[in-house]
Amino acid sequence: MLVDDSPVDLKINAKIISINDLAEHIILCKSAEAGLSHLRKHRDEVSELPELILLDIQMPEMDGFDFLEVYQNLPKNITGHSVVVILSSTLDFGDIQRAEANPSVLKMLKKPLQPAELRKIIDAL
Amino acid sequence: MNASNVRVLYIDDEDHNLQAFKASFRRQYEIYTANSASEGLKILENVPVHVIIADQKMPGTTGVEFFKSIIHTYPDPVRILLTGYTDIEALADAINHGDIYRYITKPWNDLELHNSIKNAYDAYKAKIDLRNKITELEKTNDELNRFIYSISHELRAPLVSVLGIVNLVKMEDLFHSSGEYWGLIETCSNKLDYYIQKTLQYYKNNKTASDQSQVDFKKLVSELIELYAYTDKNTKFLVNIDQQEVFIGDSFRIEVILGNLISNAIKYQKADEPDKKVNINISINSYHAEIAINDNGIGILNEHLEKIFTQFFKSKNQHGSGLGLFIVKEALTKINGKITVSSNPTDGTTFKITIPNAQFNKEA
Repeated sequence: MLVDDSPVDLKINAKIISINDLAEHIILCKSAEAGLSHLRKHRDEVSELPELILLDIQMPEMDGFDFLEVYQNLPKNITGHSVVVILSSTLDFGDIQRAEANPSVLKMLKKPLQPAELRKIIDAL
Repeated sequence: MNASNVRVLYIDDEDHNLQAFKASFRRQYEIYTANSASEGLKILENVPVHVIIADQKMPGTTGVEFFKSIIHTYPDPVRILLTGYTDIEALADAINHGDIYRYITKPWNDLELHNSIKNAYDAYKAKIDLRNKITELEKTNDELNRFIYSISHELRAPLVSVLGIVNLVKMEDLFHSSGEYWGLIETCSNKLDYYIQKTLQYYKNNKTASDQSQVDFKKLVSELIELYAYTDKNTKFLVNIDQQEVFIGDSFRIEVILGNLISNAIKYQKADEPDKKVNINISINSYHAEIAINDNGIGILNEHLEKIFTQFFKSKNQHGSGLGLFIVKEALTKINGKITVSSNPTDGTTFKITIPNAQFNKEA
């Protein structure tokens, strides 16, 4: 699942993932809210729940950190299937440290998305 | 401001003193009088007074006690204490606890009191001006912070999207489909990104706040090499780190310093060198970290050695920004570090850095 407010980045990253055959099924979410509502909607359909969530930090209204706060408190049968990886272009030291310190975040990747880095994470799942 | 706009509050239990004061100064100042501390307080509640004069010896509350009682509620007005006798205890108390500007003995001399009020008002104005300036500066600083933050996001995000598209073009084998255009777009975008990153580093370094945290040099160096060697897999890194002691320092600035030097060591390799090498030696003791970064790259001309740390210095034929080493030097200055450089054709270029270990300074 890709969560990013930039439609261009959603398109680019989805394309990078599909060209490199890194996922069978990609869910595109234009906002943190959209991402959360997808998770809630499909709480009982394991096949619709993402194994990997690529989350942007800088988003209007609800940002990546707000997403994580809600996500952490979702029932285990939703979050148990997924890992969260941050994908952001931020250079802000504070944002980077906050993202890395968050217990729900597996890793922090920088845009532009490098398929090799993502492959490493997926292979380790 | 016209002097008659200076608002003076005079508190004294003796009515004839209040009358005499009014008679002497009513042409010069806007005068409010009160015959007790509680009356004075009522006036303060309603009028923004600049200067307060209080008699020390009053029934109930003394002048000093009154000044003490309003130190938090009305900190701005400047205070003058009047007293009929030399009371050393009151004087000491006034200076120590009452934040009193002047001490004047009764009976007062009109000229002396006039000058004191004038000076007190100047002090008041200076205090308020300073506070306004501070508020203004805080606001400017705040705006600058927000501006920098938005540069790091709003400006960089679309640029990184462009770089993502270029990557896609490569993956779809279209990179050479339009002559060299894609390559040029990539070069320009990388250059712009580099400038944004350096500008942010420079700005962040200029902010005085420095954090003190544990620095694990092994982890830091391997992360930096991974980050910068991404573009050039041919360079061999020989890393030797001897860290037995805990190192406490400014992790952000140390990262900036090492990052710039490591990326330079990679960037300024000889194109035709078959055995590109970078040696990194770090040893840490409780006093400081000593770091040496050596490469067998193109080297630095002797006549350039002194200039490389100045802002926007670039050597001819090189495509640097002239910011990297300048930022290194600025960051080192902030954390009391030192740097030396030597370069010759046989040993290549070596930067040696010493950074004090705050662990030791804390204990001392």
